[in-house]
Amino acid sequence: MKDTAHQVVPDFYRIEQATCGDGLKARNTAMREGDSIRVSIRRSAHQDEWSTCIVPYRKWMRVLDVLNYVAEFHAPDLAYRWFCGSKMCGSCAVRMNGREVLACWEAALPNMTIEPLRNLPVLRDLVVDRQPYEARVAAFEPWIERPSPYSGFPEPLTHREMKEASKALDCISCMACFSACPVIGLGSLTDFAGPAPLVQLAQTALDPRNDPAKVRAALEKSGIFNCVSCYKCEEVCPAAIPIVSRVIEPLKARAAQLVPEMARHAQTFRLVVATRGRIDPGELILRVQGLAVLKRIPRLLRMLVRRKVRPLRTVFGVKSAAASATRRILSSRGD
Amino acid sequence: MQDSNFVRILKADVVVVGGGAAGCYAALKLKRRGIEPLIVCKGWVGKSGASIFAGNLVLSGNLLGNTDAEARNTAEFLIRYHNQFLIDQHWARRCGKWIEQVYYPELEEAGLYFRRDDVGNIVTSPGKIRSVAANVQGNSGVPFMDLRRKQVIKAGIQRLEETTVTALLQRADGSIGGVFGLDYLRGEYIVVHARAVVLATGYSDRLHFRSTGTREMSADGVAMAWRVGARMSNLEMQWWHTNDAAQPASWQRMQVYPNPMLGSEKSARMVNSWGEEFFNQQVDDPLAFGPYTVQLKALVKQVRAGKARYDGGYFAGFDHCTAAEVEAYTSYAKGYKQLGLRFPEDLLETAVTAHYRQGGVDVDNRSMRSSVPGLYVAGGLGGHSNGLIALATYDGEVVADGVAGDFDALSTTPPDSDRLQAEERRLEQLRVSKGDLTPTVIKETLRRIMWDHVGVEKDGAGLTKALEAIQRIKVELLPRLNISFEGRTANYEWLDAIDLVNMIEASELIVLSSLERTESRGPFMRGDFPDTDNEYWLAANVMIRTGNGCRFERRTYETPFIQPGFSSCKNLEVPW
Repeated sequence: MKDTAHQVVPDFYRIEQATCGDGLKARNTAMREGDSIRVSIRRSAHQDEWSTCIVPYRKWMRVLDVLNYVAEFHAPDLAYRWFCGSKMCGSCAVRMNGREVLACWEAALPNMTIEPLRNLPVLRDLVVDRQPYEARVAAFEPWIERPSPYSGFPEPLTHREMKEASKALDCISCMACFSACPVIGLGSLTDFAGPAPLVQLAQTALDPRNDPAKVRAALEKSGIFNCVSCYKCEEVCPAAIPIVSRVIEPLKARAAQLVPEMARHAQTFRLVVATRGRIDPGELILRVQGLAVLKRIPRLLRMLVRRKVRPLRTVFGVKSAAASATRRILSSRGD
Repeated sequence: MQDSNFVRILKADVVVVGGGAAGCYAALKLKRRGIEPLIVCKGWVGKSGASIFAGNLVLSGNLLGNTDAEARNTAEFLIRYHNQFLIDQHWARRCGKWIEQVYYPELEEAGLYFRRDDVGNIVTSPGKIRSVAANVQGNSGVPFMDLRRKQVIKAGIQRLEETTVTALLQRADGSIGGVFGLDYLRGEYIVVHARAVVLATGYSDRLHFRSTGTREMSADGVAMAWRVGARMSNLEMQWWHTNDAAQPASWQRMQVYPNPMLGSEKSARMVNSWGEEFFNQQVDDPLAFGPYTVQLKALVKQVRAGKARYDGGYFAGFDHCTAAEVEAYTSYAKGYKQLGLRFPEDLLETAVTAHYRQGGVDVDNRSMRSSVPGLYVAGGLGGHSNGLIALATYDGEVVADGVAGDFDALSTTPPDSDRLQAEERRLEQLRVSKGDLTPTVIKETLRRIMWDHVGVEKDGAGLTKALEAIQRIKVELLPRLNISFEGRTANYEWLDAIDLVNMIEASELIVLSSLERTESRGPFMRGDFPDTDNEYWLAANVMIRTGNGCRFERRTYETPFIQPGFSSCKNLEVPW
């Protein structure tokens, strides 16, 4: 089918394209030696203070090279964090033009704004306090405990069994995903642990050697069903970990199995969609909350007024024609 | 003095300085023995410096079906190629046994995933020496060291991170009773009192214009140990990476690994500016598992023939392999792709990078005691071996036993408070330096001097020039130091200034030590002494502090199991 609507490619679409192979080539050859990079860096001394300067381009320059140049020649007092410069330590993530990048890994662009990560307290300039992340990871007790004693080296294990966990093992805990996550951005409104801590959790929770009781205890602290599957985390991950499909989804499945009460809302949602072919908020609320719904009459009334819930449709609404299709799709996923 | 408001005083049984393989393992082992450790780490425990350990682990002994011949090859590779015989072979044997019997099972029991294939065999690199990787070859360091970090958390070991230790604190009798540090994120001074200090700050010093050492590695361990009078050995034995990315600048430690690839018979190849292949490990020297010295010697010949430079003009890559072959078990393709190169068709321009010190603080390798009471050393900082990760971890084991054995006899007296105040004054003065040169400018000047005169090919005249230039930095540049930001929070200029003082000290020691060794051996190449001299220099070059400088002693190595087999030969013609 010809899609004429996409003949004019909107800007946001181009940004997505830039992560493909061709885009990387273009980025790495867009500037020549000596071309000017205009970089503005958010400083924390005063509100809304930016340091802006011009940096000469050098071959294959990374964002970190630009920061190093600025610190060496323009702003020696710039606070920014890096250790390895080779995508191993995960310490140099910042936001470039509003998007999370690993400074040592990302190609410099002709015009850049550089800001600290979001969702973590800023200590100074580009340096954030990672404590909120550390505390969440520690709460998961992220180590394996075998239900039976270790059998000696090498223990029986196949890569097929370790496939999901091995993706998570590529994590360098750079916090790019933690900064990009809109649910984490809601603060204490949810108990969602956030993508980075969940990737750490997946390393052991998806490891077949781990005791299910241990996994269960960790999942109970994960708030994982608050994830809205927006894929922002995956989009910014410099280690290219498929965070939603290979970390969050398998963890949700594990939670549904080990801690079914956590998955009640998600399971009910699925049931409603499977029977009706569409979601029905009224039925969803009733099934999940039961009589507890009566405690929230004012909210219910507001939802009625705004037609978020439509009781007549819930009770008398005919099955949508999509019902059989959704059932087929859901059952083909093997669950 | 109001500054003392910023000093936090802590107590522990033992302070471990460094959060890498050796430091973490030492702390874990001490804790298991009922001795309370506290880790002070300049970066992040198990993450910053240590995580760039990227390759794979050599299989020693008869692990995973290793034959006796393969086991012997591993030992030979360690002694010959990795230490050029400057190693206690009895220690090497003990270490090999420990790796075989303790190390691998310990790692796996703790949860490390040694990469398997789909039916459950651990994937190895074939060839004369076999190796394995944690998950993926090329970024094994991350899961490997993350595991240590989590073990430390699980054990409830106290850790201070992004805290640089600036001085070892002595008691009145000269023994070490704690450390002085700066939590540079919060700008808070920290003093830890302890019966003993285990220094485990690693071996990759960022002293050269191109260095693999990470940002925080400024030879602090060498400088601090020297200041309290510890003996050094073989400081001149500097190793080099021959094939790290020439650009971008921040990727100078991004290596095109020359080691054999997991699951393949091939390894990367290196090509000079004329397009001729001049090194390929699997073809040229299958016994040189980490073929760094062999590779370096091959490069020296290319540079002399005008077909490469030490800072670029030659290339490395996998254009003789298929992408699937390389990417099955390694992460090697990622860097190429990130630069917009075609993989595996395109080669990457590479350059030499100063990698690590083979030597370091002189220790008794049965206890890891240094020559200063109360000061122990583990891992790459030690002068007894070159600090490969398994070896460094073994040091963690030995040092914990060493400290535990001495524990009851170690003094509990806190360090001298005068020394504490003197250190605080020194750091405060640095913080308010008002001159006209940033610490970075002086650092880069030093790193240029080291690159130009203490590089791959050295000689007496160049080394003497380097000494004079370092002297000028001390006398002329250091007094002009300027710190523009006076705050204490995340003041990286201040940290750079603290580092700079250590870097200058360590550089000077390395140059002096280089002048003393009047031969060429492996990666240590002197144009004025081109021969490897086993008659005289099969010996540790021990540096001892004196009232007005230093003196040297030689300590001959025994060769009970493996011998070099010649007394003197042109170094460039020696295969290792």
